[in-house]
Amino acid sequence: MADLLGPLLTAFTLPFMARALVVLLALSLVAGIVGVLVNLRSLEFISDGLTHSVFPGIAIGFVWGGREGLFVGAMIAAVLAAVVLTLITRRAVSGDAAIAIVFTAMFSIGILVVSRQSNYAGQLEQLLFGRLLTVTPAEVTQTLVICAIALLLVALTLRQQVFRAFDRAAFAAAGYRPLLLDLVLNVAIALVVVAASSAVGNLLVLAVLIVPGAVARLITVRLWALFPLAAGFAALCAWVGLTLGFEASVTAGIDLPSGATVVLVLVAGYLFVLLGRLAVDRMRRPARPVTELQPEPRAESVTA
Amino acid sequence: MPAPLALRVSGASFAYAQRDALTGIDFDLHAGEAIALIGPNGSGKSTLLKGILGLIHRTEGTVEVLGQPSAPAGSVGYVPQTDELDPEFPVSLEQVVMMGRYRELGWLRLPGKKDRRAVAAALETVGLGRLSKVRFGELSGGQQQRGLLARAVAAGPRLLLLDEPFNGLDQANRDALVGTVERLKADGVAVLVSTHDLELAKAVCERVLLLNGSQVAFGPRESVLTLDNVQRTFHEVGVEMDQHTLVVPGHEGH
Ligand SMILES: Nc1ncnc2c1ncn2[C@@H]1O[C@H](COP(=O)(O)OP(=O)(O)O)[C@@H](O)[C@H]1O
Ligand SMILES: [Mg+2]
Repeated sequence: MADLLGPLLTAFTLPFMARALVVLLALSLVAGIVGVLVNLRSLEFISDGLTHSVFPGIAIGFVWGGREGLFVGAMIAAVLAAVVLTLITRRAVSGDAAIAIVFTAMFSIGILVVSRQSNYAGQLEQLLFGRLLTVTPAEVTQTLVICAIALLLVALTLRQQVFRAFDRAAFAAAGYRPLLLDLVLNVAIALVVVAASSAVGNLLVLAVLIVPGAVARLITVRLWALFPLAAGFAALCAWVGLTLGFEASVTAGIDLPSGATVVLVLVAGYLFVLLGRLAVDRMRRPARPVTELQPEPRAESVTA
Repeated sequence: MPAPLALRVSGASFAYAQRDALTGIDFDLHAGEAIALIGPNGSGKSTLLKGILGLIHRTEGTVEVLGQPSAPAGSVGYVPQTDELDPEFPVSLEQVVMMGRYRELGWLRLPGKKDRRAVAAALETVGLGRLSKVRFGELSGGQQQRGLLARAVAAGPRLLLLDEPFNGLDQANRDALVGTVERLKADGVAVLVSTHDLELAKAVCERVLLLNGSQVAFGPRESVLTLDNVQRTFHEVGVEMDQHTLVVPGHEGH
C-alpha cells in the first residue's frame, strides 16, 4: 500500500509541486460546485463565452503589469463580461449568436494585444495553456482568495440556484429576482475562469468547469450528493494528473505540460464513469423489480 | 360584503420581443373565487399567467396583485405546465415541494421541523405522501402536476395560478386535484386556472374568461359559456353543444 501511495505523495514535498496541488485542490472544490450548477442550468455555452472574454483582460493585464497585472485585468474583464452576458441572455430569444460574436471578438482583441509583445509566442502559450508548475506563493494566495469569493457567492445562494434551474417561472412567482441570481452565478463562473486561467490556461478552463459536473450527473440523481461528488472527482483527477506529469518527467524524462495532463485525466475519468454508467444501466434494465413505490405508468388516458 | 380583491387586470396587453401575443385583457378575481381561463392552444393562456407574474413584457394596461402593482413576495403560487420542466432534473418530489418553503426560510436558514411538517402536509393534501422520496421526473404526468400544486400549497399563497393542471390526467388524479382546489378556495385562496377542458372549468370555477389572442368574453360561467362565444374562441376547431355539455372535438391537449 505504501509502495503504491509513495509516488502519489512524495512528489508534493517539493514546494513547487505542493503549490500546484494547493491551487488545483482549491479550484477543484469551487469548479466542482459551480460546475454542477452549470450542468443543471445547461450553461456550457455561456461558460465558453466567459472563458473567451476573460482572455483580453488577462492579456491586457499581463502587458500592462506583468504576472501581477494578469489577475487584475482578468478580474475586471470577468466581472464586466458576467454583467454583459447576464443582460444579453435575459432576452432569452436567440442570445447565442450575440454571445458567440461578442466573445470571439473579445478573444481576438486579447490575441492582438499579446502580439504587440516581443516574446509573442512564449507569452501567448503561457496564457493559453497555463503554467501550473511555476505559480508563485503570491499567486497561490490570489487564487485562494478568488476561489473563496466564488465559493461564497454560490454557497450563499445554492438552494435558490437549484430552484431557479428547475423552474424559473415558479422561482420568479415566489418573489425572487432571477436576474440577480443569474448575475451571481455568472460572476462565480467568471471568477473560476480567472482562478483557473493562470493554472491550467485559458483554453483548458472549460474542461475544469464542465467535466466534474457532468461526471456527478452520471453517478447520482440525488441532488445534494452531486456537489461533493463533482468536487471530489475534480480533486482526485488533479492529484493523479499532477503525479502522472511528475513521474513522466522524473522517471521517463518526458516533459508533459501539467495543465493539459490534468485535463486529460479529467476526460479519461469522465469516459471511465460513462462506461461504468452504461454497463450498470444495461445490467439493471432487464430485471427491474416492480416495487411498491413504482409510480403508475407515465402514459395516462387523455380526457377532454 | 364581497370578498377582497386578489387580482385586477385592466386593459392589459402582453408581447414577446416585438410581437403582440395577447391584447385587451380586463378582469378581476376575488379571494376564495376561481376563474377558468379557456382557449385553444396558442391562445395566450400561459402568456397571461406569466404576464401576471411579470415574466412577460406588458405593453399596456395595469396588473394589480393583492392591491400592489407587482406581486408581493411569496403571496403568489404558480403551477407551470409540467412539460416546461426537465424530466431528468435530479430532485425528489419532497425536494420540489420544499422549494415552496424557501421564501419563508430566507437565504441561510436550513429547513427545520416546521418546514418538513408543512411539506408532509402539502403532500398529504394532494395525496402523494408515500411517493415523497421518488425522483420528480419518474412520476407520472398527473403526479407531477399534483406535486407542483403541493409546492404551491406549502408556500401558503393567497393567489394561485395554475397552467393547464388537468391536461392528460386520469380520473383519480382529476378528482384529487379538484378536491385540493376546492379546499384552497374554502381557505380564501383566489385561483386562476387555465384549461381547455370545459367540464372541469364547470367543476371548480364560478367565472370564466374566454381567450383567443385577445379576450373574447368574461363573466359568470352560465352567461359566458354560450355556443356563440365558445365557437368564437375555438373557431378553427369546431364546437358542438348539446343541452348539458360543450364538446370540443379533437382538442385533447399536447
Ligand atoms: N417564448 C415565446 N416567444 C415568442 N412567442 C411565444 C413564446 N411563447 C408563446 N409564444 C406565442 O404566444 C402565443 C400564445 O402562446 P401561449 O401563451 O403559450 O398559448 P397557450 O398557453 O394558450 O397554449 C402563441 O402565438 C405563441 O406562439
Ligand atoms: Mg400554454
